[in-house]
Amino acid sequence: MESFLASIGQYMFHLFGLMAVGGALALVFSKNAIHSIVGFLLAMLAVAGCYLCLSAEFIAVAQLLVYAGGIVVLFLFVVMLVEMTKYKEKGLFQVQTGWAVGAVLAGAVAIISVFWRTWFGPNATVALTLPPDLARGLDVGHQNAEAVSRGIFAQYLLPFEILSVILLVALVGAVVLAKTERV
Amino acid sequence: MNDAASMNSVLFISFLLFSVGVAGVLIRRNVLIILMCVELMLNAANLNLVAFARHSGTVAGQAFALLVMGLAAAEVTIGLALVVALYRKKDTIQVDQINLLKG
Repeated sequence: MESFLASIGQYMFHLFGLMAVGGALALVFSKNAIHSIVGFLLAMLAVAGCYLCLSAEFIAVAQLLVYAGGIVVLFLFVVMLVEMTKYKEKGLFQVQTGWAVGAVLAGAVAIISVFWRTWFGPNATVALTLPPDLARGLDVGHQNAEAVSRGIFAQYLLPFEILSVILLVALVGAVVLAKTERV
Repeated sequence: MNDAASMNSVLFISFLLFSVGVAGVLIRRNVLIILMCVELMLNAANLNLVAFARHSGTVAGQAFALLVMGLAAAEVTIGLALVVALYRKKDTIQVDQINLLKG
């Protein structure tokens, strides 16, 4: 059983990654906004699976809670508030779509050439691996929530507090922006 | 657990997600789709952070991935409030019809 799990563990990341990319493509290229949200949900669930494969269990569960539980529902509420059916016939894409796709493809070719060199070039055998002394000293995989909480509440306390202030500002700002004029 | 996914494949999946997000921001007219594509790009960056946290054996990448997640939630809240306010004012959410700043 252990060897079976270890053997499929190599392929689970690629499976989840391809699911994420497929969901992202469905998000960009579907006509209906609800279908786009379903593609977004699929991409977020697949990214949570990728986190599980990278032995970040706490981040995976937080991803499920925040994205699949909160943000997708928020997007659904806004689609319900904003009636979009009357714009369906006006065209899906911008006028500069050709230029934009060309620019993105040019950047993609540039980065893919870098990937190509690291996979097939003379440096292809140099892989980024875990140094063994670090792996014994600080194991991120085991007791993941404890390690993350030590990181957040002890080592990086100041960014966490700044984030809490930003969340308060976002809360007040959302209320001010979305309230009606009469109140 | 042994090496479940090599660094190259993680970086490549993250790169694919990011480029799909950039393409969606550039080519779609709907503000909601553009916001979702921004979220997609943040997730690609998060995937990189978690992968580097695993491969360096420290917890900093995972901690900052969690902080980025909270920041993304704040950002989408403000963005959706702006969308609702814009829809009340202009009666549309197509970005090519919102051209009040055009000179």
